[in-house]
Amino acid sequence: MARDPKYDILFEPIQIGPKTMKNRFYQIPHCNGFGSEKPLNQAYFRAMKAEGGYAAVCTEYCSIHPESDDTHRVSARLWDDDDIKNLGLMCDMLHEHGALAAAELWYGGPHAPCMETRCVPRAPSQIPSDFEHLTYPKEMDKDDIREVQGFYVEAAKRAREAGFDIVYVYGSHSYLPQQFLTPYYNRRTDEYGGSFENRARFWRETIEQVKDAVGDDCAIAVRMSTDMFMGEAGTQLERDCLPFVELVDDIVDVWDINVSGISEWGEDATPSRFYPSGRLLPWQKAVKGVSKKPVLGVGRFTSPDLMVEAINDGALDIIATCRPSISDPWLPRKIDEGRLDDIRECIGCNICISRWEIGGPPLICTQNATAGEEYRRGWHPERFEQAANADNDVLIVGAGPAGMECARVLGERGMRRVHLVEGQDDMGGIMRWIPQFPGLGEWARVVNYRKIQIDKLKNVEFIPNTRLDAEGVKTYGAEIVIVATGGYWATDGLNGCTHDTIPGADASQSWCATPEQIMAEGKAVGDKVLIVDNDGYFTGVSLAEKLAEEGKQVTLMTHLGHIAPYMHFTLEAPNMHRKLHKLKVEIVTYQIPTQISEGGVTSAHVYDEEHLTEWAVDSVVLVTQRRSNEALYRELKDSVGIDALQSEGISGFYRIGDCVAPRLVADCIFDGHRLAREIDSDNPEVPLPFKRERHVIEREAVPA
Amino acid sequence: MSVLIVAEHRRGKVRPITLEMVSAAKELGDETAVAVIAKDPAAIADQVDVEGVNEILYVKVDAEGFENDVYREALEQVISDRSPHVVLVGFSIDSMGFAPALAAKLGLGFASDVFALRRDGDDLVAERSFYGSKVNAELDFPNTERVLLMIRPTAWPPAEGDGAAVSAEVDVTISASRARHVDFQEVAASEDVDITGADFLLSVGRGVGEKENVGQFEELADKMGATLSVSRPLVDQGWMPSSRQVGQSGKTVKPKVYLALGISGAVQHLAGMKTSGTIIAINTDPEAAIFNVAHYGAVADLFEVAEELEKLY
Amino acid sequence: MKVLVAVKQVAILGDEVEFTEDDRDVDPDYLDYALNEWDSYATEEALRLVEAAGSGEVVVISVGDEDAEDSMRRCLAMGADRGIRVESVRTLDPIQVARALAEVVRSESPDLVFAGVQSSDSVQAATGGALAGLLDMPLVAVVTKIELGDGKATVNRELEGGLVDVVEVDTPAVITIQTGINEPRYATLRAIKQAEDKEIDVRQPGDLGPQAQRVRRMFVPPKGEGAEMLDGGAAEVAQRIKELVEEKMA
Repeated sequence: MARDPKYDILFEPIQIGPKTMKNRFYQIPHCNGFGSEKPLNQAYFRAMKAEGGYAAVCTEYCSIHPESDDTHRVSARLWDDDDIKNLGLMCDMLHEHGALAAAELWYGGPHAPCMETRCVPRAPSQIPSDFEHLTYPKEMDKDDIREVQGFYVEAAKRAREAGFDIVYVYGSHSYLPQQFLTPYYNRRTDEYGGSFENRARFWRETIEQVKDAVGDDCAIAVRMSTDMFMGEAGTQLERDCLPFVELVDDIVDVWDINVSGISEWGEDATPSRFYPSGRLLPWQKAVKGVSKKPVLGVGRFTSPDLMVEAINDGALDIIATCRPSISDPWLPRKIDEGRLDDIRECIGCNICISRWEIGGPPLICTQNATAGEEYRRGWHPERFEQAANADNDVLIVGAGPAGMECARVLGERGMRRVHLVEGQDDMGGIMRWIPQFPGLGEWARVVNYRKIQIDKLKNVEFIPNTRLDAEGVKTYGAEIVIVATGGYWATDGLNGCTHDTIPGADASQSWCATPEQIMAEGKAVGDKVLIVDNDGYFTGVSLAEKLAEEGKQVTLMTHLGHIAPYMHFTLEAPNMHRKLHKLKVEIVTYQIPTQISEGGVTSAHVYDEEHLTEWAVDSVVLVTQRRSNEALYRELKDSVGIDALQSEGISGFYRIGDCVAPRLVADCIFDGHRLAREIDSDNPEVPLPFKRERHVIEREAVPA
Repeated sequence: MSVLIVAEHRRGKVRPITLEMVSAAKELGDETAVAVIAKDPAAIADQVDVEGVNEILYVKVDAEGFENDVYREALEQVISDRSPHVVLVGFSIDSMGFAPALAAKLGLGFASDVFALRRDGDDLVAERSFYGSKVNAELDFPNTERVLLMIRPTAWPPAEGDGAAVSAEVDVTISASRARHVDFQEVAASEDVDITGADFLLSVGRGVGEKENVGQFEELADKMGATLSVSRPLVDQGWMPSSRQVGQSGKTVKPKVYLALGISGAVQHLAGMKTSGTIIAINTDPEAAIFNVAHYGAVADLFEVAEELEKLY
Repeated sequence: MKVLVAVKQVAILGDEVEFTEDDRDVDPDYLDYALNEWDSYATEEALRLVEAAGSGEVVVISVGDEDAEDSMRRCLAMGADRGIRVESVRTLDPIQVARALAEVVRSESPDLVFAGVQSSDSVQAATGGALAGLLDMPLVAVVTKIELGDGKATVNRELEGGLVDVVEVDTPAVITIQTGINEPRYATLRAIKQAEDKEIDVRQPGDLGPQAQRVRRMFVPPKGEGAEMLDGGAAEVAQRIKELVEEKMA
């Protein structure tokens, strides 16, 4: 297929400093949990984007010195020669695909608590971090300033040696250079604080020094937050950002433009719940208005039309992506090849970011089960090996996320026939009603992508409106049977706090309901609603938002100290709170119901069982915990029996997704994907071991 | 080249395709006769007496309305009587009941859904689509003396102006009508809408803004005689059921008229509707991709246009 | 009770196309194939009638090369009992297809013959009608409901605009089936496997008679100049829309 000419502009090369990008696609610095200490994972992950057509690919934030240590969160590091070796592999692999490599040189100041190195970070003024509240910085004197600037220079030289084409002096998200620029962080009264010129001095000098050191060989990138949305205390577009751009424009080769500080950086890495794609364009355009250099930036861009518009509109020269490059590293290539309907669009759930926020785990992606598995499991998002046992027919019962993904990958692996059988009239399972929560419309892309792909696969047939019982499964004629029947919200109040049901909780009553009864079955609730939320993620709060928008009076009760704590990790918490507050949702913490009945709920304080509260309500919604829909699987395994299944010719019998154990949609899709990738292993039920990057000692060589 | 047009009529009214065929016949330039097969041809004949018609044939039959054996037998006799070179019928449901049967029985040249015609010397050349309307082809009919063509509705404008046709009666004998009309029924609107069967779709997209606004367009669609359909974002949000979704992950539709309000034209959406007969698109963005496939467009606010449409219906 | 269902393996053209050397057809490399959508409804209807009758068979008949048996097997997997394929060269016109099928129908003496209203690739909507004409059988085209009686059937003929014409037709008859008449059943994997073993009898075509149409040349239609933009404010645009709708819906 051919590229649509209206996208040609995205494939025009562009010069940045001494380097040339072959097209306008740029993978912005973003974390993956691999750093410099899992160099193979790192390199394979980044190389996939280059293979997918990205003209430039960046590291995550790359520490320039042990004083900038974000443990438990994982950053890259360029402290010594061994780091050069490790990150050099990434550069080599990117170059093989014709992509430039970029290192985002980073010094965090007090936002990086140094829990591994036990160093003390330095900063313009001694105020504890608004991100890591226990961390105080050492207040920098002039010697400190020179020293830290020297760290940047030395790190830049290491970056050049490793093979990086672009080096950053990174300030966005309130890291050190931006801390100097911003009154909120900089209360100095010397020539590095106070007036704009003074506040800009540290950053300007650092850029100059880095440019002097490596500027002939490497492009100098500056990543800046244009506005922290903190009023005069924070960086402001007109007062600080645009003058800074004008001040250093001559010595900068490319601008990388963000918004926000660090404590609410969800204003920058926007969840789809609150912002559409392209949120940052007005700020990016403002910078382009005063700069003569190329400007790049993110905006959760998935649509090539929006990308072209951003360029034609004079907002960006280069389209940067982070999350859309995770959900589909081959985005540029698919646009180039005219395969727009093959693009696996980012849904803006921020599950990837949540892993970094938690600190430690590698990233995962709801849409792309291969993200982070490029090296350790050898999975390529676009390449599938013909299954060794392809000469078999497969029955998948249930077309939710796990079933759809499994069907898709089995189809790609050439299984003779795959029947994806679903009781409802369409694919999607739980993802049919979750996207109907306010703001979550883009999450339906999980279903839309798979629908289109499955429709294209000739060996995969989707059969709706068919509810198979055990006998129907047994006699269906498949050699491999995969049960993917999903889960449901407990109807009896069973919960992870008391590990018991709640007396009186009964969702078969008209005054008591579960989320799917309301969302998928249209069960009505009364005017005063109490939601019992022991879940910790979005279902309770989304339901509260929806019901409150419909005019209900909502009380949202949790046994935890915070409502929906996981949404802190997805950066959705601050705006979610604002929304619930505006909708007058009553949030009640540390409470667990002891009795539920028609018209009322009694609850006890979690730390004081005697302290009871009465709630008069019309309806109670149970968001206490989820259960697996395992009845069909159990009947097949226990009543019918594996032997009987084998007599029918069924040589493989598996289950995937929520019907094994309820979990994130990302993990359900992963589960379906993994089984399909390993359907021809000796025992597909058991995941094959994956490569672990770790230091293995030779016992004999260990000194006494 | 003489042309015989079979008038299509129902319950006393001549259907527009009949007059469109008169325009088509003009491309062939010759003698054009219109056969009115009916219980009372005289009552209908006026409606086909337009400029371009040389002769109106009154073919009286017993049947109250359309019955395919009646038409086929009558036409066979008219053809034998008049020996036209070309027979034109509408590409319509009635015609499907007799025209192919007649063409097969008499060994005529045949093509259906023809939307362009010309003469190439003595040859007749007709144009139609193939492969799901993705390609066109010019056809000719070298192997037969006489050709029957089924003409695509709205491909030609209806002929107008007063005619001065002579009339003639053609007697026919119908031996049997083996498929007999019993009754007409209006089909009750069903709960579950099948947009793929609709002739006129009014389709809304993200431009409607809020869920609350969808109802207004539903009402407008009703007034205009259209079925409401939507683009994907409205289904994702839960504002409309997926049975209404036009697009790659929804339904592919090919109505006569597709009126797109506030739809930008994402590739996945266009895939589901771009072969519609007539596409009219309203969008505030002059660069919207939908204008690439639309036949008519206006850069306008959909709410303003909707308001004006409401006044007209 | 015996019902014959004429089915077609239709060609599907994607967004890219190349033509054959003589420009009279599409290069087969650009084509995919599938069972004609109308024919699954026709097969389903036949199965229902035979099931309701208590005994009988559904025979699928098709004109095509060996690859066309894929589509026939789908019908067999739905439950049709056997198939008859008339060997053919590609691109027969619908009248010639009907001549090939007519021989099969004569040899089978069915109670009913079904065909789809049209095929999704050629959309000639002619084969079923032509078949009736050649066999001199009663015909009803575009049917959305069938009730069998004694020596006749009462059927609904779907007209434009949602009107239904209730017709009484003498049987045996040819009926062309419209989509939506029923919900075609899905075939389980077992049924698909069993269909592999059902009989498809291959026959050579007899005299196909003269070609009813000949392709002079095939081509991609020229792209229009884009949308004709309507002038004026909302009121003028609305007025024009109303006119266009009336014109096009007539």
